[in-house]
Amino acid sequence: MKISEILTEKLISITLHPKNKDEAINQMIELADNSGNFIEIEEVRRSVFEREKLVSTGVGKGFAIPHGKTDEIKDVTASFAVLENPIDFDSIDSKPVKFIFLLVGKESLLNAHIKLLSRISRIMNKDEFREKLSNAKSPGMVLKLFTEEEQNYLDI
Amino acid sequence: MLLEYILLIIAVLIILSIVISRYTYNLGTPTLLIFLAVGMIAGSEGLGNIYFDDYRLSQNVGVIALVIILFSGGLNTKWQSVKNQITNAIVLSTAGVFLTAIFAAAFMYFVLEFDLLTCLLIGSIISSTDAAAVFSILESQRIKIKGGLSPLLQVESGSNDPMAIFLTIGTIQIITSPDSGIGSILLLFVKQMSIGFGLGFASGLILVQFINRHKFIYDGFYPVFLLASTFLVFSLASTLGGSGYLAVYISGLILGKYEFIHKRSSLRFFDGLAWLSQICMFVVLGLLAFPSQLIPVIGTGLIVSAFLILIARPASVFLTMVFSKFNFKEKVFISWVGLRGSIPIILGTFPLVAGIENANMIFNMVFFIVITSVVIQGWSIPKVATYLGLAEKEVQQIKSPIEFEPLRKTDRVLEEFIIPFNSSIDGKKLVDLRLPENALIVLVCRDEEFLLPKGETILHSGDVLQVLTDKSLIKEIYEKLI
Repeated sequence: MKISEILTEKLISITLHPKNKDEAINQMIELADNSGNFIEIEEVRRSVFEREKLVSTGVGKGFAIPHGKTDEIKDVTASFAVLENPIDFDSIDSKPVKFIFLLVGKESLLNAHIKLLSRISRIMNKDEFREKLSNAKSPGMVLKLFTEEEQNYLDI
Repeated sequence: MLLEYILLIIAVLIILSIVISRYTYNLGTPTLLIFLAVGMIAGSEGLGNIYFDDYRLSQNVGVIALVIILFSGGLNTKWQSVKNQITNAIVLSTAGVFLTAIFAAAFMYFVLEFDLLTCLLIGSIISSTDAAAVFSILESQRIKIKGGLSPLLQVESGSNDPMAIFLTIGTIQIITSPDSGIGSILLLFVKQMSIGFGLGFASGLILVQFINRHKFIYDGFYPVFLLASTFLVFSLASTLGGSGYLAVYISGLILGKYEFIHKRSSLRFFDGLAWLSQICMFVVLGLLAFPSQLIPVIGTGLIVSAFLILIARPASVFLTMVFSKFNFKEKVFISWVGLRGSIPIILGTFPLVAGIENANMIFNMVFFIVITSVVIQGWSIPKVATYLGLAEKEVQQIKSPIEFEPLRKTDRVLEEFIIPFNSSIDGKKLVDLRLPENALIVLVCRDEEFLLPKGETILHSGDVLQVLTDKSLIKEIYEKLI
């Protein structure tokens, strides 16, 4: 399983304009719902917000990775957004967030969930990659960037 | 016979079943067919030359095995995936089974011109499905069925046996005491189902509470306690005039829904027991069959089997699923997964034990019908699923290398933590984190690799840590990672 395999163009947006953190997360979940993978979207919402309550998933450098685990989904699901206007995400380094990656994993596929989290954060930690992403003009280009970047990695 | 010899035979047969099924697995051969074959080959007309015709003993083995298989099936059912399909499953496993029995009986009555009660008896015996076989086949082919079909078929197969058992017992009652009116049969039905369901439901809830409240002295006591409880529930329900089979299945379902101490090890224990039961049951049933006696029923057996597969099952599926959301292809698939299995063969021994006329012919017919169903449908299910476009490549279920089993209801959790970018601990040793006393890092994941956490392990931004800890400490740990 690769990031570029679970993301499709309709799960990527560069046109979201959330006003605040909660709205951003809700929009990400609705975006991810395009996959048709959610059996019970409220359960997804609950798991993601519950995790967010502990400590913000804004891990720094303008990136946030809200995530949750539930078995109310058919398969591992993700969505990704580049925000035109970065928003306050209560991030650890207090910087506004421009990139949001939502990952909803399955309770029964914990192994893959952990590996995906670590791959996403590893890739998003690269300054040049974030730079390329912010210049992307369409979801298709964003997807292409992930695909290219991931060629150097093994299949999870 | 000396005990050593009996044990030797049992051991050899079980080992053979397991080893042979290992090598036929890749061919997609239904495992139950292998077990049956081992029994038949070991039998008096096979290489083993073991003469065995004790119907009563076989029925007892069958009943004990069924209790374990049904309980284990309930216990392993994932409540989450099942709850949307409950209504469909109940309709299929009651009305569906009833219609299948009636259609099959009508066909035999009008076409084969058997007498009416014999037709009803055979129809009832072969009316329930066996999806334990279905799922083992699907796994061996590494494909998965889309959408809600899997949970539906799973629950249907687990819950339709009581109906078939009831129909069989009811028909036998009409045959042995012809003066019992339709009213008493209906009463029997209501009693069987309501007591079975009620007792199963109540016992499940009580057991969860009981296990969580009483701490047993040894860990090994938990599954043993459950095993004894299963038979308690079964015999209690049967004694009170309810369906013991329905009771243990429902009891298992309820236990499967809730968390209780040592649940995971109990699941494994019952998984093993269920396999042992399957093997014993089929080997014994294989031993019990005399292949030479099957030959006379081949003609009629094939005709009834064909009718059952091509008309009776599809007709009852399409009729009962009229209001469901399933489309045509999905209904065709549900129809095709009308696999007959162990239940009909065990029910086939009931007329023998009850001393009914034609009982031998009935048993052989049923045995033959089950074999054809397993061979024809069992083998072709993966192909049919692919043909109907209902198969998807199975995602292998990889569990975390670390599993966590709560010993009692605790606030302890296994939680993932991402080390933030520009974290102050980037490049530091794990030992320097100074996590709270009650927090243990069990795994460090860096991209595709799981690292074994040691004090000397250097941590980096973007690593994911899996930490075993108290819920109350989670916030504190996050703060340490900043």
